[in-house]
Amino acid sequence: MRYFYFILIFFFSFFYSIALQGQTRPLITGNFKELKLGQFIRELESTSGYHFYYDSLQIDSIQVNLTVKDQPLDKVMEKVLTKTGFNFSIDQYNNVFLIRDIMIKTELPPGFFGVKSTVDSIINPLTDLELARGSNAISASLENKLYEIGTKSNNMTGNSTLAGYIRDDKTNEPLPGVSVYLEDNPAISTTTDQYGYFSLSLSKGVHILNVQSIGRRDARRHIAIYSDGKMDIPLHEQIISLREVVLSSKKTNNVRSVQLGAEKLSIATIKKIPTVFGEADVLRAILVLPGVKTVGEASTGFNVRGGATDQNLILFNGATIYNPSHFFGFFSAFNPEVIKDVQLFKSSIPAKYGGRLSSVLDITSREGNKKKFAGSAGIGPVTSRLNIEGPLSKDSSSSFVLGGRATYANWLLNLLPKDYENSKASFYDVSLVTTHELNRKNNLYLTAYLSKDKFNLNNDTTYQYSNQNLSLQWKHIFNNKLNSLVTGGYDFYKYNINSDANKINAYDLEFNVSQLNAKSDFTYYFNARHTIQFGLNAIYYKLNPGSYRPVGPESKVKEDIIPPEQGLESAVYIGDSYKISPDLSMDYAFRYSFYQYLGPQTVSYYADGLPKSESSRTGTKEFEKGGIKNYSGPEYRFALRYAFTPDFSVKAGFNSLRQYIHMLSNTTAIAPTDIWKLSDPNIQPQQGNQVSLGLYKNFKSNTIETSVEVYYKEMKHYLDYKSGAVLVLNHNIETDVINTKGKAYGIELLLKKTAGKLNGWIAYTYSRTLLKMDDSLAGEVINNGEYYPSNYDKPHDINIVGNLKISHRFSVSSNIVYSTGRPMTLPVGRYYYAGSQRVLYSDRNADRIPYTFRIDLSMNIEGNHKVQQKTHNSWTIGVYNLTGRNNPYSVYFVSENGQIKGYQLSIFGSIIPYVNFNIKF
Amino acid sequence: MKTNFKIIICCATLIMLLVCCKQEYIPPANEENANLLVVEGFLNSGQGPTTIRLSRSVGLTDTTQKKFERGAKVNVEGEDGSSFALAGNNNGEYSISQLPLLNNIKYRLHIKTINGKEYASDFVPIKITPPIDSITWQSESEGLRLYVNTHDPQNATKYYQWEFEETWEYHSAYYSTVKYIRDNTNRVTALVYKYPDHHVDTTIYKCWKTLSSTSIIIGSSENLTTDIIYLPFHFIEQGSEKLSVLYSINLKQYAASHEKYLFLQKMKKNTEQTGSLFDAQPSQLSGNIHCLTDPNEAVIGYVEITQEQTQRIFIFNSQLIYWRYDPGCAQFEIDNQLDSIAKYGADFTPTVPTEFDLTFPFGIRKFNVASDVKCVDCTIGRTNQKPPFWP
Repeated sequence: MRYFYFILIFFFSFFYSIALQGQTRPLITGNFKELKLGQFIRELESTSGYHFYYDSLQIDSIQVNLTVKDQPLDKVMEKVLTKTGFNFSIDQYNNVFLIRDIMIKTELPPGFFGVKSTVDSIINPLTDLELARGSNAISASLENKLYEIGTKSNNMTGNSTLAGYIRDDKTNEPLPGVSVYLEDNPAISTTTDQYGYFSLSLSKGVHILNVQSIGRRDARRHIAIYSDGKMDIPLHEQIISLREVVLSSKKTNNVRSVQLGAEKLSIATIKKIPTVFGEADVLRAILVLPGVKTVGEASTGFNVRGGATDQNLILFNGATIYNPSHFFGFFSAFNPEVIKDVQLFKSSIPAKYGGRLSSVLDITSREGNKKKFAGSAGIGPVTSRLNIEGPLSKDSSSSFVLGGRATYANWLLNLLPKDYENSKASFYDVSLVTTHELNRKNNLYLTAYLSKDKFNLNNDTTYQYSNQNLSLQWKHIFNNKLNSLVTGGYDFYKYNINSDANKINAYDLEFNVSQLNAKSDFTYYFNARHTIQFGLNAIYYKLNPGSYRPVGPESKVKEDIIPPEQGLESAVYIGDSYKISPDLSMDYAFRYSFYQYLGPQTVSYYADGLPKSESSRTGTKEFEKGGIKNYSGPEYRFALRYAFTPDFSVKAGFNSLRQYIHMLSNTTAIAPTDIWKLSDPNIQPQQGNQVSLGLYKNFKSNTIETSVEVYYKEMKHYLDYKSGAVLVLNHNIETDVINTKGKAYGIELLLKKTAGKLNGWIAYTYSRTLLKMDDSLAGEVINNGEYYPSNYDKPHDINIVGNLKISHRFSVSSNIVYSTGRPMTLPVGRYYYAGSQRVLYSDRNADRIPYTFRIDLSMNIEGNHKVQQKTHNSWTIGVYNLTGRNNPYSVYFVSENGQIKGYQLSIFGSIIPYVNFNIKF
Repeated sequence: MKTNFKIIICCATLIMLLVCCKQEYIPPANEENANLLVVEGFLNSGQGPTTIRLSRSVGLTDTTQKKFERGAKVNVEGEDGSSFALAGNNNGEYSISQLPLLNNIKYRLHIKTINGKEYASDFVPIKITPPIDSITWQSESEGLRLYVNTHDPQNATKYYQWEFEETWEYHSAYYSTVKYIRDNTNRVTALVYKYPDHHVDTTIYKCWKTLSSTSIIIGSSENLTTDIIYLPFHFIEQGSEKLSVLYSINLKQYAASHEKYLFLQKMKKNTEQTGSLFDAQPSQLSGNIHCLTDPNEAVIGYVEITQEQTQRIFIFNSQLIYWRYDPGCAQFEIDNQLDSIAKYGADFTPTVPTEFDLTFPFGIRKFNVASDVKCVDCTIGRTNQKPPFWP
């Protein structure tokens, strides 16, 4: 069949030139200024006798600016349609056909008698020079059509670059993470970036392109590539009809990618993971991944491969979120309705990221529907959600999505004893994401985020915290090979506490951190073997480490304001993804980070060789605006992948990172009053190195993925605290902190079934995290300077996530968690002091609390699947902690009425059922 | 930041009440016995005795309440070479009636235990304790809160520690004039008057109880512009028997150095303020007492020189607008017949006659019995000796 078309095309091309000869046609004269093409055409029709056939919607945006004298129509039209992607044909009856991308042949070859003038069914794929220059891309929506790309030339050797966007055909939403590869040579492959953009270097000639994505219909495109060119591919959403569809996924991404320790969860997966109160929770979902741990059920802070909770960079569309939790960690601060997916990098951290030691959690929002207004709403036991989305302009180049979430947790508070009857708790968050496609080469993305928490306990103490973020991203495509993403943003986090219960001590305490950041990332598709990424980052920090102010006339509180601190963190990086051979690939990158602690500031200096304390302080120095102390250093990111077979590969990686901002906390979980501190002359930046090795093997047409990863990690200058350290309102925090070293190692096993009625994964992690504090200058050493387990050292960890699709409208998900208890410091004895028995502690973290075991279950029931109905609704019914086990959060000992009592504290020590209702419109 | 910490605890408690639960935890048996020396007390530079209490830490599962350190030689030593010996008793208390300390000299505590080890505190200067301005109280919906008011005109004290003793008078729920006579099988054989003149048994009607503070009470004015303290230091829950008649509290105030304050705060965090979601790590305590013989041996304690300032207040039940003390007692009437006593009243305590009829023994036809002996006899857990300071 394909050959038939080729022959047809050949014939048409041949006779086209003949047909154009020897015709007499009216000439055009006139001055056409700032006319819409439609108006221009009407004028021509009235003056020249030509008839135009076109789709008025398609030509709407084309402007005409032209002065002509005695020109034939074809010359005029050529000028008018330059760079518009439109072609024209003129037949012998002076009919003019305007059509995009393809060309209508107006004459049939003599002797082609069987075919009458069914002109518009015959199409001529056109090799347009304009396409080659990249101003316009073919929208390749048909499977069995040959799309020609670039300018035909005799030189058909070498490679050309094909680039474009992959989008949803209905909403125009770009689709990230879609794999694009050649059917005959899957090694030539790429995946789309977060904006759905791909660039693939391939040999000139005819290829079949395979496009695959989860939840989308697989697509194939026939292409003939002659030179660099563009092609967009719309993908259909996979609406599975009620008859069984056999899916054969060819995803081999885990085996083929060079990165180690990268995990991606789509919101669809996240929503299937059962959680407390049934709120789809981004941060809780990543806790079921191997290598990610938490100190307990009520804490949102997480630990990746032995890193501390402040060593994770949490990005929401490029904006840094300092406190990702609501309600003291019971909910994550991200609205699941606005999120598209989350990606966690725990080993191979791309060079464009930096500034945190352990991991990067990149949360990407959805883009709004570009074609129509839509929305969804959800009701759960504690929060309600609403989001709306839609186009911002008629030509579907802009869209927005706005999501909000609010709580009505006050009813929970009413269950409290009378002591708390006047308590109030509330939180909300709002996310707004707008997308503007300025033109083919420029896209703008604006993200605004606001979250706020407020508690009022029995009317005397009000406690608040808030994240505020704004980020603007500009994606610019220079050409097929080079594109850039420029991000600018402002991130802000603050908390404040005020109390007026005690008039003399009535106070208002506030902390805040803000950062201005600018970032530019470039990707250069050098050739089929090299993709080069480079860029610049800069972050300007400003912290108000604490202000304590009196409230009310009677308050005797002394105003205490710690002067603000400033710092500038900048970095340059360059990296290359190098495909050495189809089997061997390598990513290597170099990042150089530079940090400057900025004035104005008063810096204290301490005597060498003595513990930093008030008594060893040798003096202070006032600094004006400008640099006070510089730290800088190289960071290396390296990963290598060798594929023994298409479904088996080995990867190795090395990473080094630096961190210049530290969270000060001597609690084990992220507490709402944790403050942040910049590196300064007395506090060195943290450094970390990680080596890792992984084996990846897929089975059964890649529907079963298995992997083994091992890692070893070292950390330097990690901050720990002297016993009894005061962290809030401390003017000389350096006297209360100690440098520690850390090491972490582990093995992570993952077995994942990606397709079928039953899918999910089993992850087992064995890991250790040990800290060591042997700095004799600190004044005290912990555990005699030996390594001791960190608070989140939980050696054995098993997570099983399963999802059984019973029918198209009913599925059951389950989550099984087992983990060793976290370390605790068990008392070794007791003593009597101040009228009470008291516990005596000795070596830190020498014992463990009992293990955790939990089963969660949820059912998703969806309404009918008729595509055309106005609303779609679904119910989620579930049970958290099905066995009702009292999983310990902590074990503690307390002196009560003169006696010592030991208690085991559980957060969710019973079965928690929930119901959630969601509606889409 | 103490205030801060409290808020976290408070919030955390709230959350815990929401969803969590706690259950008793019995730690695995730990044979390790640190056996550390614990030193408590202060050197009194004012009028009055100085008492230092020495004890030892014990294993967690050890049943000993207090392990006293007896037979040690305890001295107060001055930098000028002066030395004053403290005499020990059987309860590990070492005291001297009056220490003649000089204002411009630093002193230390020196201990030589019976096992030959020597311990000494750092040399410390005398700290002046300002007097307590007043003790005030406020009724709240959930009880009564006591506040201490104090200030230092010199703005020099800043850190304070308090201890208190509370004493209250208690009256039994019911008067009692009668009692059972029981035979050797504990069967009631008769109901008799306690006193020939049918008088109420006052020895079990009016009692007193004294408790010492069991928590570390500290406060500071470091965040305030002037050295003023207005601090809630004690709370009595609504309905407590403490305020059922008359209540008195004797508050003792001591000035502390910043270091001692931190020491006490750390001890408090480690042993009292645990169990929240955001617990601080238990940390090792290091005071100002060191083992001279073995520098690696830890000692618990922080000894300073100061004075004791005290103030006592009384609160009458009648001063309170509403105090719902309910002893949880009930009484009911039964016939003064041995078979009905055996059936209904033998397990209870007789209180007073209610109906009289001379045909019955002692003329008592019916009498009341109380549900619990505690409703009649206040001496259970209390004393009927009136304290000397009681009005």
